Amino acid sequence: MSLADQLAAYLTRLNGAPTTVENLARIPGGASRETYRYDCVVDGVRRGFILRRDPPGSLIDTDRRQEFLAIRSFAGKDVAAPTVVALEESGAELERPFFIMERVEGGAPASPFQADPYGAHAAAIGERFFSIMGRIAGEPVEGLPILDAIDPPAPEDCWRRELDYWSGVIEADEEHPQPIVRAAIRLLRREPPPPAAKLAVVHGDYRTGNFLHDGAGHIIALLDWEMAHVGDPLEDLAWAMDPLWTQIGDARISGMTPREEAMAIWRKASGLEIDPKAFRWWSLFASVKGQAIWTSSAKEWRDGGMKEPVLALSGWYTARRQDQILAEQLLAWSA
Amino acid sequence: MTPSLPDLLMGHMIALSTPMPPEATGDYLVGRLGLLAMISILAVQEAERGVDTRVWENKAIRSILQRAGAGAPCEPAEDLTWSALDRENAQLRRALIAAHTSAEDRGDTALGREILGLYHEMAGRRQLVLPPTS
Repeated sequence: MSLADQLAAYLTRLNGAPTTVENLARIPGGASRETYRYDCVVDGVRRGFILRRDPPGSLIDTDRRQEFLAIRSFAGKDVAAPTVVALEESGAELERPFFIMERVEGGAPASPFQADPYGAHAAAIGERFFSIMGRIAGEPVEGLPILDAIDPPAPEDCWRRELDYWSGVIEADEEHPQPIVRAAIRLLRREPPPPAAKLAVVHGDYRTGNFLHDGAGHIIALLDWEMAHVGDPLEDLAWAMDPLWTQIGDARISGMTPREEAMAIWRKASGLEIDPKAFRWWSLFASVKGQAIWTSSAKEWRDGGMKEPVLALSGWYTARRQDQILAEQLLAWSA
Repeated sequence: MTPSLPDLLMGHMIALSTPMPPEATGDYLVGRLGLLAMISILAVQEAERGVDTRVWENKAIRSILQRAGAGAPCEPAEDLTWSALDRENAQLRRALIAAHTSAEDRGDTALGREILGLYHEMAGRRQLVLPPTS
C-alpha cells in the first residue's frame, strides 16, 4: 500500500467520511522529520495540509508530541505558528509517529547557503524575525499546552539541562575524537551563566531557513519546532545569531539585520534585557549544540546506509564550519 | 570529522542508485540532487588537500604533545592512505584532549592558549568552502 493510500485510510477513519489524498509530495528540508504536502478531499471540498512523519533515521531524536504542543501553545498569538490538527504517536496507519497541520500557502523558506536571501526585503524580514522571537521569549509559560509534555527546569538549571543533553549526544554519537567541542563543553561547565531572567518557550531551531516568507517582507509561517522546550530565552537568540547561519563577509545576521539592531528589536519585543555574560555563554553553547547535531547526523548517515545526502553534508561540511566557529569563540573567550 | 572522502563517494553511489517512491520525486528529488552536487564541489577540495591537511595536523599535534610532556600515543602512519592517517589522527586527538584537560586542571594557561591556537589552525585548514547559491 502506498503512503497516499495509507494516509487516505487514516483520514477516512479520522473524518468519519470517505477521504481522498491527492498531490502527495515530499518536501525538501526538514531533515528531522519526513515532511509532505497533500490535498485532502472530503465531500468535494479540497484543503491543503502538511504531514510530518518520523523518519527511520534523522538529524535529531525529538518528541513529536512536544513539537505538536509547542506549536499549539502559540495558536493565535501572532508568531506565525501553523495550525496543528492531529497527532498520532502510535503511528496508526502510517506505521511511524506523525502529526498533521494546515498548509500555509504563498511562501517559501530561504536556504542558509543562499547569498542575500531576502534581497530588498531584508530589513523588513529581520524586523519580523527578531520581533517574533522576542514575543515567544516574552510569553509567560504558565498554562501553555507544552507544559503537558515537559517538566520545566528551574531558572538556574536551564543551562545545565541543555548542556547535559547535548554533551551527552556528542558522547554517544561521536565517531572521531573532537577536541574543539570538548574544550568548549569544559569551559561552559567551568563558567556557567547566571540564572535565566525568565522561563520561556525556546523554539530550539529558530533561524533563517526555518520560516516561510512571502517574498514581500512578511514571515507567514514559523516551522520546525521539533526541538522546542522550556528554558532560557537567550538560547534562541544565540542560536539564531550563530555565525553558521550567516554568509562569511555579510555583516547582517543571516542576511537580514545588523547584530545590534537585531538585539534591540528582540529586547523591545520581549521586554527582556540581554546580560552580556549570559549571552556569551549561550552563544558558545549554540555552537556546541550545533556540533552535537552535526555529529549525530554523521552517525545517522552511516547507520542509515549512507542514503541521505542531507545527513552527509551536515556531518561533514557543516561540522567543519562549526568547528571553526567554536575555535574562534574559544580564542576570544581566553583573550 | 566524519564522514571521510571515500565514505562520501560510496554514499553518492548508494544515494543515486536507491529508487525513490513516487511521492519523493519532484521538488524533493531536485533538492536531493542539489545536495549531492554540493557534496561533489566540496569533495574536490577534500581530494586536493585532505591528505596534506591530515599529515600537517598529525605532525602539529605530536609537536604540542611533546611540549606538553605528554608523549605521542602511536607511531606515525606508515602509509598515506585516508584510513591510516585518520586512525593515527584519532589516537593523537584523544591524547590532545587529555593533555588539554590536564593543562586546564593545572592552571597552565600558556599551554592552554597554545592548544587553542592549534585548534584554530586545525579548523581553518580543514575548512571547506561552499560557494553561495543565488
